[in-house]
Amino acid sequence: MSNRYKRSITGTLAAATCTLLGSNMPEPVQAQEEPGWDFNTALLYYGEDDDRVQDLSLNVLTRRTFVDDRFLTFGVTLDALTGASPNGALPQSVPQTFTKPSGKGTYTTAPDQLPLDDTFKDARVAVTANWQQPLGRLFQVNAGVSASKEYDYLHLGLNAKISRDFNKRNTTLSAGFAIAQDESDPIGGTPTGLTAMLNAVEDDDEGRRKGPLETKDIFDIVFGVTQVISRNLLMQVNYSYSDTSGYLTDPYKTISVVDGATGDAVPVIPTPGDGPSHLNLFEHRPDNRVKHSLYTQAKYHMNGKVLDLSYRYMTDDWEIDSHTVDLRFRWPISDRSYLEPHLRFYTQTAAEFYSLYLIDGEPLPEYASADFRLGDFDATTAGLKFGWKTGGGNDMSVRVELYKQSGNISSGQLIGDQVGRDNYPDLNAIIVQYGYRFGK
Amino acid sequence: MASRSSQRGITVDQHDGYWRGKFLAMASPCEVLCETDNQGGAERLTELVATEAWRIEDKFSRYLPGNIVNRINEANGRPIEVDAETTQLIDFSLSLYELSHGRFDITSGVLRRVWTFDGSSNIPSKSSVKAVKRYLGWKRVRWNAPVLQMQPGMELDFGGIGKEYAVDRAANLLRNATPLGCLVNFGGDLVAARKPCRRDAWNVGVEAVDASRPAGEKLLNLQVGALATSGDARRFLFRDGIRYSHILDPLTGWPVPDAPRSITVAADTCTQAGMLSTLAMLEGAQAEQFLEAQAVRYWCNRGNAVAGN
Repeated sequence: MSNRYKRSITGTLAAATCTLLGSNMPEPVQAQEEPGWDFNTALLYYGEDDDRVQDLSLNVLTRRTFVDDRFLTFGVTLDALTGASPNGALPQSVPQTFTKPSGKGTYTTAPDQLPLDDTFKDARVAVTANWQQPLGRLFQVNAGVSASKEYDYLHLGLNAKISRDFNKRNTTLSAGFAIAQDESDPIGGTPTGLTAMLNAVEDDDEGRRKGPLETKDIFDIVFGVTQVISRNLLMQVNYSYSDTSGYLTDPYKTISVVDGATGDAVPVIPTPGDGPSHLNLFEHRPDNRVKHSLYTQAKYHMNGKVLDLSYRYMTDDWEIDSHTVDLRFRWPISDRSYLEPHLRFYTQTAAEFYSLYLIDGEPLPEYASADFRLGDFDATTAGLKFGWKTGGGNDMSVRVELYKQSGNISSGQLIGDQVGRDNYPDLNAIIVQYGYRFGK
Repeated sequence: MASRSSQRGITVDQHDGYWRGKFLAMASPCEVLCETDNQGGAERLTELVATEAWRIEDKFSRYLPGNIVNRINEANGRPIEVDAETTQLIDFSLSLYELSHGRFDITSGVLRRVWTFDGSSNIPSKSSVKAVKRYLGWKRVRWNAPVLQMQPGMELDFGGIGKEYAVDRAANLLRNATPLGCLVNFGGDLVAARKPCRRDAWNVGVEAVDASRPAGEKLLNLQVGALATSGDARRFLFRDGIRYSHILDPLTGWPVPDAPRSITVAADTCTQAGMLSTLAMLEGAQAEQFLEAQAVRYWCNRGNAVAGN
């Protein structure tokens, strides 16, 4: 900020105005904003290729403004998820049969196909509520609660944040925390880690694999600095710490047990009844995960154009390190509309216990998972958003993005017949979002 | 000050709990709201306000032959003696000139010879802006109250303060004329002269909204005091993806870069509110910081360029 306005000019201006208008100055102004409503709605479609996961999501964020810059925000998100997701087993040159997570019935994967569990179907409801208000002239506080429910999952959370402006509002420091408890009640019960997938059953009254509800506790803290660097440049740096403990395993994911020489999955000696054709163990993850992440963002304004560049580094004690670079450029194409290209690059290393398979006859590790999301992979997102103002002065936008995820498997990890198979097929997805924001 | 209104007449109509008088002045629709129950009272107050608005318009319009501004602008270098009211307005402008370090300048109207903000892409050439800047700058004016001497080709224009001044003058007249709740509004620059009695506050819509809120009109509750808006979302030029605001910086002769589309400020008088919003516009990208330092309530509209965060 230029030095010439370091001091308020209101005193001098009031004196000059008093001279101009005569001595009888009126009462001090009393003006407040009329309490109002603001609705931000979005309909999002996320679809993976090869009939994998599809999500249709409706999000409504409602903000009620009260006098003196106090806000109450309510959010509701409804998701309908369908499609198939990888169950963790490796593709084989022969058909593979798996027991459904419910234990009722089986499904079969064709040769050379990635085994996908197509019984995946869920609906999710998530709600949030947040209160924000100034505290004195320089502090801002907000506090909120969140909850979400899926068929087999319940999340409850609390969060709070305080920020303070310094340096004539050119610097903002903030600190916040969030705690949450998640409860999972897997379909078919919670499997014991690193035990074999069992045969299907006729009824679910056998009480098999039924365990107690599994929970996890999440504790996050975040510290941030936002700094106005110049009239065009704004920068932000956040550090966050996250500690999750409890049941962190995915109860539906398995890992193939393979022959140490051929690399092929070990067949199960046929047993009476319907069951898995090959030996698969349920995955098992550590019961604690600590993450540190550093996020920096720069926003540069150029005559209505806005360049937004951010970078995030995350490291955790599962030995996953990730880097994310995100670039957006808002480019006005008329007085009422803009285009916004978006590029995002992501790369991560694998968790220490990530493995494509377990070798038959070797001692079982303490933890193992073949979930691609814990593997070494790169992902790229490229998209374009078009936004415009409606005749009524509301905001509309349409965003289309393509997502590509490619796993990195070194040849040293493959044994025997695994070489030449597509053990980690690329994942391609499309994201289409329509947004509408209006006030009342 | 804009052109002289061709239609001079008032109309009044009744609303729920108040009467509204309407007339045209300074190229703006003007209104007087008063919590009276009788039409005669509403007409009398509207007439009072309209007469003052038209008086100020006639006296300070740039377009009216023979008035003081016209005589100054036609003086062709000769000194002109001005009356007491004009002296006060010039002295006030001079305070603003000093407070803004030369960026509020009542001789900057000459820039209109090269800049026309009609939504087109007609950006003037650098040389034509430079040429017209020779006729701009209070430092070229000799002011020895009540005698003003400008160089030939220069122009004086009270457009930057005339309407706010007129609203405050009208509000003073209303305060002296009635104890009832009343409000005067000249095209969006307005004063609640007296608190309403039959409602909590006057509901006023402002076009300016802050960037974190959706566009459209925002409603304010005004009990007493003034609101003034600078900027106009419809007046701009647009070329090569750059939006040129109609806020011109007299120091450069060019539009202020990164100026908000409009700024509304609340203050005790319309003159203070108008000057703060104008000076904030001249701050461009730092408009909000300037206003924060002034500790006033304001609503800044930066359009969709920065909204949505």
